[in-house]
Amino acid sequence: MNLGEAAQIFAFGVFAFISIAGALGMTTTMSMFRSGIFLMASFIGVAGLFILLMADLLGMLQIMMYIGGMLVMILFMVLFSNDPGGDMMASMKMPFLERFFSSGLLPQKKIHRDSHSHHNSRNNNNQADKDEGMNMGMDMSMFTSLKPYAAWIGLTVTIVFVLLFLLFPDWPVKNFIPDQDSSHRIGMLLMGKYMMAFEGAGLMILLGIYGAIYLARPGKHPDSKDRNDPSSINEEPPQAAEDPIEPFYNINLKELYEKSEDEK
Amino acid sequence: MGIILSLAAVILLFSAGTLITILIEPMLSTTDEEGPASNSPKNNIYPVHPDSWLYNAAPAVALASMAAASVVIPIDKSLAGADIGIGLFYFIVIIDYMVLAVALGGWGSNVPESIESCYRIIAQLVAYVVPLGLAVIGPIMMAKSMSTQNIISSQSSLWYIVSQPLGFALYIITGLMQVYRAPFLEPFSNILNNGIISTYGGWRGKLWRISLSGILFIVAAMGAVLFLGGWSGPLLPGFVWMAIKTFAVLILMKWIGQRMKLLSTARMLELSWKILIPAGLLNVLIVGGLILMGVGGK
Amino acid sequence: MILPINAYLIVSAVLFGIGVYAILAQRTAVMVLMGIELILNAVGLNIVVFWRYIQPENYSGQIFTIIIITIGAIEMSVGLAIMMLLYRNRKTVQVDKYQDLKG
Repeated sequence: MNLGEAAQIFAFGVFAFISIAGALGMTTTMSMFRSGIFLMASFIGVAGLFILLMADLLGMLQIMMYIGGMLVMILFMVLFSNDPGGDMMASMKMPFLERFFSSGLLPQKKIHRDSHSHHNSRNNNNQADKDEGMNMGMDMSMFTSLKPYAAWIGLTVTIVFVLLFLLFPDWPVKNFIPDQDSSHRIGMLLMGKYMMAFEGAGLMILLGIYGAIYLARPGKHPDSKDRNDPSSINEEPPQAAEDPIEPFYNINLKELYEKSEDEK
Repeated sequence: MGIILSLAAVILLFSAGTLITILIEPMLSTTDEEGPASNSPKNNIYPVHPDSWLYNAAPAVALASMAAASVVIPIDKSLAGADIGIGLFYFIVIIDYMVLAVALGGWGSNVPESIESCYRIIAQLVAYVVPLGLAVIGPIMMAKSMSTQNIISSQSSLWYIVSQPLGFALYIITGLMQVYRAPFLEPFSNILNNGIISTYGGWRGKLWRISLSGILFIVAAMGAVLFLGGWSGPLLPGFVWMAIKTFAVLILMKWIGQRMKLLSTARMLELSWKILIPAGLLNVLIVGGLILMGVGGK
Repeated sequence: MILPINAYLIVSAVLFGIGVYAILAQRTAVMVLMGIELILNAVGLNIVVFWRYIQPENYSGQIFTIIIITIGAIEMSVGLAIMMLLYRNRKTVQVDKYQDLKG
């Protein structure tokens, strides 16, 4: 085989590996931020496969939408909720994949987490987690109790589909190189034959924006007098336990925030 | 043989451009502001509790995004890295990776100011991406193509800065947002103790410096391609004109930026969503009207 | 066309299976939404593969994928807004604890 075909096979191997490794890493790693990054790597792998299939505008569109838009959304949501980080790692025995994908994380006390999730301390005081054995105050694990069954179900679905695709291989394949100017063809179709779908998608985006903003609004009437009360309390972060390792900075967070208020 | 020669020429010219940018910067600035990555620690610091995959990956991703984005910029009539049919779209998408790199670096070092800086940089991404798209649509509409060589060759009669001044102004402002220069410097400023750069010392800080200066050069080069007509010009060879126009746009960006006060993240988002996006939509409307009247294009 | 069609289809099937696992086994609502995105991605890859190998002159396959990506973005944004409201009311993000409808 000549260089072009070898390059195609190599590129397919690389991108397929990136997609599947990214998806696996997303489900098994112990930190939610890393899950977001692995999901993005998986999307980039699939976009590479799109470009290999000569749908280049679609590949670029996939990268832009999933990274520029959706991942920003996911990252902001990760910042709002509790990221377990590496805290649980020292106390759990994990299967090989999880240990590999969480390998860069260290168990530690992270100072920033307590200052950015104010709800957390109220969470501890109000709720008694009776059905979790060790009351560590934070989430125990990333996985539900259904994990073994879920793994078997996932494996079954995968094997069923792979066998279907392998055992019925007679698709009517056409040996035809598509038009290279894909953006022109897509544009003409979007404005011609699929104008209704295009405008309908635009209308749906508008409704989605409106719905999301309405759902996430502060929950009080604009005229009620306690609307501007903060929904979270600015608490002092608890003192970190004595670390044998010295801290990287001697930070006084209160002073940092007061200083930035003065400079504005 | 020709491919290797042109590849070598492209690499040489871009490295030269980046290095000259790093050297010229102190001469061009009228205030003490030196750019985001100038104050990295001198000795080789490693933070105590990093997330080591993300921390080590960040400078590499930044450098990769800068290198990959410089592929579509044409330096001479037949001297571009690759003339992709969707070149401009590819450029916008790849520049987004710089934001990803800074976010990885911010989270990975596990120091409170870095993480705060990471949040503000993602907010800056949200602020610049829609006005940039609206500013860049003007040249695409007039040239009827997304390939950079086609955009340059369709400016042979009239440069786009003359027919789309609003688009050019929008491109300059969002370009400043993309490269983290004044007035959009807050994630890297003294308020946050230099942001994520303070946790990268030694050679990693220098890698950040190369990436962040290089991206200023590349954004200015793309501005020259889109609005000033790229390598076309009467007497001198193509790459000399390209260098002159790139540095002209670069000097204009820095000069305008340093006249203004530093904007905080909230004010920057307000500026983007309340002023720049309506201006962008107005720009698209005006360009459409101009095309219907027959100005520009073939 | 050096690669057989089955190679791409197997990749898409594996991604689908991993997405199903992610939906069923993750504890936080955000991770469940990420699993849904994986499934949508696998389906999109499947459509583009079939477009390229079976009907490359008709660009409707790519239009369908564009619409799928758009609708995936919308449902994820509304899903995240709902998740934020649930967090405000129930103070927890674990989907095990949302048990109001349990018989």
